[in-house]
Amino acid sequence: MNVLSFALNNLYHRPARTSLTVSAISLGIAAVVALTSISWGFEASWQKANDARGTDLIVTRVASENAMPSAFLAAKYVQPLKNQAHVQEVVGLLSEMLSVSDNAPPVFVFGWAYGSYLWKHLRLVKGYWPSNDTEPVVVIGSLAAELLHKDSGDKIEIEGRQFQITGIFESSAVVENGALLMTLTQAQQVTDKLGKVNVLNIKMDGRASDADIESFKAHVRKMMPGFVAITSGELVSNNTIVRISKAMSHVTILIASLVGTLVVFNTMLMSITERKKDIGVLLALGWQQRTVMKLIFCESVVLTLIGGCIGILVGIVMTFGLEHMDLMRGKIDAVFSVPFLGAVLGLSVIIGIGGGLYPALKAARMRPSHALRCE
Amino acid sequence: MNPQLFPESIVRTENLALHFDDSKTKALDGINITIHKGEWVAIVGPSGCGKSSLLNLIGALDSPTSGELYFRSQSYSKILDLSLFRRQHIGFIFQSFHLIPTLSALDNVVAPTIACPGSPNEHKERAKNLLVKLGLRDRLDHFPGKMSGGERQRVAIARALINNPDMILADEPTGSLDSINAKQVLDIINDIREKKGLTVIMVTHDPSVSARAERIIHVCDGKIEHREEARI
Repeated sequence: MNVLSFALNNLYHRPARTSLTVSAISLGIAAVVALTSISWGFEASWQKANDARGTDLIVTRVASENAMPSAFLAAKYVQPLKNQAHVQEVVGLLSEMLSVSDNAPPVFVFGWAYGSYLWKHLRLVKGYWPSNDTEPVVVIGSLAAELLHKDSGDKIEIEGRQFQITGIFESSAVVENGALLMTLTQAQQVTDKLGKVNVLNIKMDGRASDADIESFKAHVRKMMPGFVAITSGELVSNNTIVRISKAMSHVTILIASLVGTLVVFNTMLMSITERKKDIGVLLALGWQQRTVMKLIFCESVVLTLIGGCIGILVGIVMTFGLEHMDLMRGKIDAVFSVPFLGAVLGLSVIIGIGGGLYPALKAARMRPSHALRCE
Repeated sequence: MNPQLFPESIVRTENLALHFDDSKTKALDGINITIHKGEWVAIVGPSGCGKSSLLNLIGALDSPTSGELYFRSQSYSKILDLSLFRRQHIGFIFQSFHLIPTLSALDNVVAPTIACPGSPNEHKERAKNLLVKLGLRDRLDHFPGKMSGGERQRVAIARALINNPDMILADEPTGSLDSINAKQVLDIINDIREKKGLTVIMVTHDPSVSARAERIIHVCDGKIEHREEARI
């Protein structure tokens, strides 16, 4: 027998308290895992969408932290930007979240300049791409097709206008798979934003260096007051929804940690109060204070580690369920990285040590003669 | 007093006092006793007279308000780690056994060896041998709740012996036992004392139990009532 097996034995012989504490810790950790992975996944899926398109820089309004940057008239900026060194393409993009039928949740509708490089990363799995800029047609992401029960050849009503679905596509980015895609002109018409875009996507040629990119950014600041050229990563991380979801996950981590610490604190305090006599016996028999502390810490950390492991599993299942809810499908792509899960287990250990600290000190400082008098 | 003058003494006290409530309650006052190596001493007296307090001080479970305690020639106040001192030199036997209910008999005996030098297997083997010697071969995996009082006290005796102490401090070791089990436990304690040359200091209020000791120390109202009364 060693301290760890003694600690495990103590937890095993108090099944009700152990399972209640583990349950409380698992729920907290599950909430942390679910919210954080969704928050990171939300950011990552938008980042992935921008990266997949091959966009090097995005020109948008300075106040681009809105959920979707506000639209602006793009025509007068496109040619001057194209004239800059190493700029290969300047492509307008308009996007809105729209309801496309009474019973379905809203979906993203993207408008991309017809024939631009933005279309190239998508894979057509059924039907055909829009063949011109004037026909009211859309192609639809595979997830959106499933969600809206639509197929190639069906009709779909968007903002009171009928569109023909010409094809179904797949993208490596889940937000695109859950979206409807039409030409920029059609999107401007359906949203009453003629000539407007939310962002201009800039594709540089392969010879552009970091200095060229910085020079382009400086040019945009000078030539387009109130606008800024940023990378897709900067655009996503400044996004209000991303920031709110990150803030929510941080608050959840904080609350879960505090609640978890209090739960462990309460459990261990009750436990040492009940076992005062046993601890007194161990101290009388020659256990040193540090051995008593080690025992209490082992118990509290084992509780939180078990809670952490169960919480991670529950969190992954919860997130998987959320991802597959109709309202959320195609909008989030949760991220469960090994470092993140490792950090969650680390958090569990910290909660265990934090919650066990005072009870461990209290147990170690018991006077054996007093503890032995306890019945 | 020069401790070197008493090479045979294992425990010696000098004007030992233990006061509570700003000296309003004097649990012990001016205790001077010497206990020699290999002796069996009974500390007797009425309830609340301070005999358990004296045993706690000798066992380094409490600190005196004033006075000095010596283990051999070393003052308790100079011992840096009293836990280590208890582990190396003292074995405790309590009236209510104080076994840990969630541990088997074997694990109860092994418990004091946790974090001690030596391999866990060695400790386990020694605990097993002790329990077997005390007639508990069939009770190794039994939990205290499933054992009789006599069996539990034998487990407690094995636990007290696991670290090869120099002295056994027993607080009413037969207080919770019937007369047959009480006799058996006292026989075991005496047998071990004789074989291992241990010092036994036993607190009791039962005259038939104190009669087994070599010497009786009477405590009354926190003081030694009669000078050390040698029985053998």
